[in-house]
Amino acid sequence: MTNTQQSSNMQTGYAARRRAINIVVYVILAVMVVIWIFPIIWLIIQSLRGEEGISTSYFFPHEWTFNNYIRLFNDDRFPYGRWLLNTLVVAVFSCIISTLFILMVSYAFSRLRFKSRKTFLNLGLILGMFPGFMSMAATYSIMELFGLKQSLVALVIVYSAGAGLGYQVAKGFFDTIPRSLDEAAKIDGATRSQIFWQIILPLSKPIIVYTALTTFIGPWTDYIFVSYFMKDNSDNYTVALGLYSMLGNQTMSEYFTVFCAGAVVIAIPITILFVVMQRFYVEGVTGGAVKG
Amino acid sequence: MASNSKKAVALVLAAMMAATALAGCGSSNSGGSTQSTAPSTDASADASADSNASGGGSSAAGGAATVDVDSEDVQKQIKDAIAQEAEATGNKISMTLWCSGDDLTFEKSLVEKFKEKYADSRYKITIRVTGAIGEDNAGGKIIESPKDGADVFNFADDQLSSLVEAKAIAKVADLFNENVKANNSEDSVAVCSYDGTPYAFPKTSDNGYFLYYDKRVYKDEKAVASFDEMIKTAKAANKNVYFNLGNGWYSTGVFFTAGCTVEYKDGKQTATYDTKEGLSAAKAMCHLAENAGNGFVGSAGSSGDNATVQQGFSDGSYAAAVIGTWMAPAIKKAIGDENVGAAKLPTILMDGEQKQLHSFGGYKIIGVNSFSKYPTTAQALAYFLSTKDSQVERYKTRGLIPTNSEALASDDIKNDPALKAIEAQKPYAHPQGSSVGGKYWASNIAGFGNEIVTAKGKISDADLEKKLKDLVTQFAG
Amino acid sequence: MDFLDYVQMTKGQRIAYRIKSFFTGIPRAIGNFFKIVVYFIKTFFVAIGNGFKNYGRRFSKGDAGTKLSYIIMGAGSMMHKQIGKGLIFLASEIAYIYFMATFGISYLSKMYSVGVQIDEAGNMVDGVIGRERAMYTKNLLGVESISNLDTLDNSNQVLLFAVMTIIITIAFIAIYVANTKSAYASQQTISEGKTPLNFFYEMKMFLDERFHVTLLTLPVVLLMLFTVLPIIFTIFMAFTNYDKEHQPPGSLYWWVGFNNFADVFYANPMKSETFGKILVWTIVWAIFATFTNYILGIVLALLINKKGIKFKGFWRTMFVITAAVPQFVTLLLMRLLLGDNTGLNAMLGTQYPFLSDATWARITIIIVNMWVGIPYTMLISSGLLMNIPEDLYESARIDGANAFQQFTKITFPYILFVTTPYLITTFVGNINNFNVIYFLTGGGPSPSNYYQAGQTDLLVTWLYKLTINSSDFNLAAVIGIIVFVICAVGSLITFNMSKASKNEEEFS
Repeated sequence: MTNTQQSSNMQTGYAARRRAINIVVYVILAVMVVIWIFPIIWLIIQSLRGEEGISTSYFFPHEWTFNNYIRLFNDDRFPYGRWLLNTLVVAVFSCIISTLFILMVSYAFSRLRFKSRKTFLNLGLILGMFPGFMSMAATYSIMELFGLKQSLVALVIVYSAGAGLGYQVAKGFFDTIPRSLDEAAKIDGATRSQIFWQIILPLSKPIIVYTALTTFIGPWTDYIFVSYFMKDNSDNYTVALGLYSMLGNQTMSEYFTVFCAGAVVIAIPITILFVVMQRFYVEGVTGGAVKG
Repeated sequence: MASNSKKAVALVLAAMMAATALAGCGSSNSGGSTQSTAPSTDASADASADSNASGGGSSAAGGAATVDVDSEDVQKQIKDAIAQEAEATGNKISMTLWCSGDDLTFEKSLVEKFKEKYADSRYKITIRVTGAIGEDNAGGKIIESPKDGADVFNFADDQLSSLVEAKAIAKVADLFNENVKANNSEDSVAVCSYDGTPYAFPKTSDNGYFLYYDKRVYKDEKAVASFDEMIKTAKAANKNVYFNLGNGWYSTGVFFTAGCTVEYKDGKQTATYDTKEGLSAAKAMCHLAENAGNGFVGSAGSSGDNATVQQGFSDGSYAAAVIGTWMAPAIKKAIGDENVGAAKLPTILMDGEQKQLHSFGGYKIIGVNSFSKYPTTAQALAYFLSTKDSQVERYKTRGLIPTNSEALASDDIKNDPALKAIEAQKPYAHPQGSSVGGKYWASNIAGFGNEIVTAKGKISDADLEKKLKDLVTQFAG
Repeated sequence: MDFLDYVQMTKGQRIAYRIKSFFTGIPRAIGNFFKIVVYFIKTFFVAIGNGFKNYGRRFSKGDAGTKLSYIIMGAGSMMHKQIGKGLIFLASEIAYIYFMATFGISYLSKMYSVGVQIDEAGNMVDGVIGRERAMYTKNLLGVESISNLDTLDNSNQVLLFAVMTIIITIAFIAIYVANTKSAYASQQTISEGKTPLNFFYEMKMFLDERFHVTLLTLPVVLLMLFTVLPIIFTIFMAFTNYDKEHQPPGSLYWWVGFNNFADVFYANPMKSETFGKILVWTIVWAIFATFTNYILGIVLALLINKKGIKFKGFWRTMFVITAAVPQFVTLLLMRLLLGDNTGLNAMLGTQYPFLSDATWARITIIIVNMWVGIPYTMLISSGLLMNIPEDLYESARIDGANAFQQFTKITFPYILFVTTPYLITTFVGNINNFNVIYFLTGGGPSPSNYYQAGQTDLLVTWLYKLTINSSDFNLAAVIGIIVFVICAVGSLITFNMSKASKNEEEFS
């Protein structure tokens, strides 16, 4: 009797303390959310601002307008619509090719045993440690030889040709699938190709989604390669480079609000995609990379 | 020199006629060199030159035997040459033109006119106009990789020497050269030449800076005579004077004021900044920077000149700014046409006395990439973009001051306040091409000014001297 | 040392153990690093040695067909009734010989001079040669043009094709060896009285026993072409004078040995000082950026996942949104938000030099990076927190541990143990973090004693600027190699250390 009473007393005291702690936590979280969301809100508000110029001395614009969005798609100098299309095309193709490559390579390294597998793994590790854009001048020369200079095809190749190197995460995932599955299928007379396509891949939805997500976001937001590869060919810019060029010295003040509109347009789909798919993202990283 | 080139033009014309005669017979003589043809037709040269001179009533400027490029004959020659160039690439010509992003729409309209003028059934011309590479770094980009560069590009005259040294820019064809020379102001023609050989087509004469001010703050030109006075007035009105010391293009003016020699010759950059004069200039900059943030803005921060000036005038925090004509539309829009004043640069306090601030004065010019696949078409386009009609239209649409002598003499342009300010500043304006080359801009001249502004001018003489010395080493490269 | 043993130690013991194992770990980790390097080199040469040994052995034991296939590829296979395979080998030999004769040899032979002319004394003549040999012609209108543009040797092209030839040659050698092996193998099969595999059966093996070949061929070929080839090419560039003044085809570049490395390390005071300063800042940045994000991200995850906190999904989504908006957007926005005269300063009427003063800029960058990175760490450690085996907590509760003790005894060690590889990759990622620096400050502010760089530049942004702005390709290549070495050495050592102190089986 006394025992339970004591513990219930303890519990109410404990509960009160816990509530107090929780309130502190709520306050901290709320403050943090405000800090984190503030720039995003500012972005959206700026994109609806009627006044020109880089910024105003007040937070809310005096004149609200949708004109920036209309200007965005009707500008002669910065063909945003075209850039958006370029970005979409490049991202979709790179995503498909890269995902395929990554799955193929990581499956081979994870579940198939062959001579020089270790060598390949080590070489992959070493290659992955060169800074990604270190050799872009050389890659550009190669593209020139193939007649692909300043083309979208060159971008797709750049983003997906080296995709095989990103096998670690997916390999980590494949490692966790029980080997007994393969054994059973082999006894049933399935070839390794059939096992890959018909047994393992259907089981790998999380890692496929993760791979597709990251390989899509990469080209969608890349600036470095486009900026070197496209040079003056503004028709073939992707949104990242295009938006960056809007903030050049000459045009910044005139186009800042349009830039914000463009940023909102490019951010919306990718944000939704990411928020919806975050579960897969976390599973991918924690399941693969973290376990190593 | 002049008579030589006249003779050359005559020769060329004669050769062209001979060539048309041949072409008329249906021969498809592609890419032949004139060196063999020209001497052989020497005999007919004089005659044709004469006939041209007598029938040359329509040629623009007085006396000189310039060829009327727009005459039917010459137009036909040009079209033939274009057709010949187009042959190698399936009768399709595809070229690129680089211009300032601000001018993009306007230049596109000019290009349309060019295509109309040279339309022909034998070939098809497409010209991509892009503002992605501005006039400030077009030359550099061409040198960096000529094959990736535009066929025709607009650029600031100071880049000419390095372009010529890199053999990345083509000589102006004899045919156009006489016209360019005769029709444009002497200075503008001079900056388009290197060692006496013409390499570019002059376009506008306002690649320099002077003072724009708000007439509501400064009543007349006397009020903007010296920086010290201006800053005092601005401070009282809770406004700022803008002069970007963090940009070598502007800060070099201070060094000129002190009497430093800045020279670019044969690919070598020299500047006597490590001398007494250099230190005087640096200290004058420090004197201005003492007011940084308090009546004076000496750096554009991360947003760059134009954006800063636009912002400053629209939110009412600037009373005056050292900047050029390209910002005129924005400033007018911000404070109203009637409130915009333009004047020569103010004086700056140096070694205890007020000295007139010097500046760069230059031209924007048009060049043809020597690696262009279509040199004739490219030259024709560059010439077209620099003709009087194009220049006048450019002034009307974009407010850019022409180089064409006739256009400059016309009434609406003569009275332009910006032109007047440029004229007043002219005695103190230095040409860029012979002063500074690529290494100058690649040096940390910008960082030097920025450091002074950030430190609010509180840098010891010894430190300044060391920094100046560093700069000089960088110029030497 | 088991994790559970570790948990059971007293606080003092634990600290002592950690400190001890850290310091005892360092020499071992460094030692291991060299061991690995030595092991690699040894294996490499042993493999080559064995290759030659076997190559000779096969020849001496081979029959006529096998011996013939040492000269005429595929001969052995064909004589051993493997016609299809033999034909493929033969075709590849013919193709290779054709390639070398028409193309490869000429470029390989030019590699020494990279297309630059050499004078009688054997010295490379100045690089303007490319231009000097240009031939100008005038057309009828007096328009001058270069007529022999295509025939001017181009060092870029020469070097690139030469590297390509080398790679193709290596690939050919592999095929060649495979050819001798195959011939010998089929010879043995026949001598054992069996029939060698027929062509179609061998083809079918590519879907089963040799499925890895099918899977890997295309990715590896493209990798060779667009990653390995450019990297080798770039490494070669580091030994040339391929800079702004030597731009083919206008002017050529040539070999300068280790001059560029000397420049970066000591010979050129401007470049070496810039390099030193940037290197220090890169490492300082990487440490701060990694650990601030890591610790605060975990704290945030703990706050959100704390028992009794409602709307977990809402809180998480709010932070995830900021992580999801593309970085170039948020960072460019931050640049203007924190500009000298714009954004916050404009709204507050102040002039804080958030990004224009070196010290301010460095601190701002680290803080903004926290804004960018914390949501990611939060997201990932949230996922990890859910994976902690519940029975660990239960046993701890039975032992009477309170919430704080549970955190220090279970949650934190668990996360630390599980995320060490993640920490390493983040650290390497931060050394290579281009976006935050480039979009926020562009590397600035740039004082007068930095070569083509600013005070917030990292090695990689410097590399980028050298490539894009000043065309110092040789210097950029040197920096790239240095970054590679730093990343490789750093991750090998830390990986070894973490491996040594971690019982991998514990949580897998």
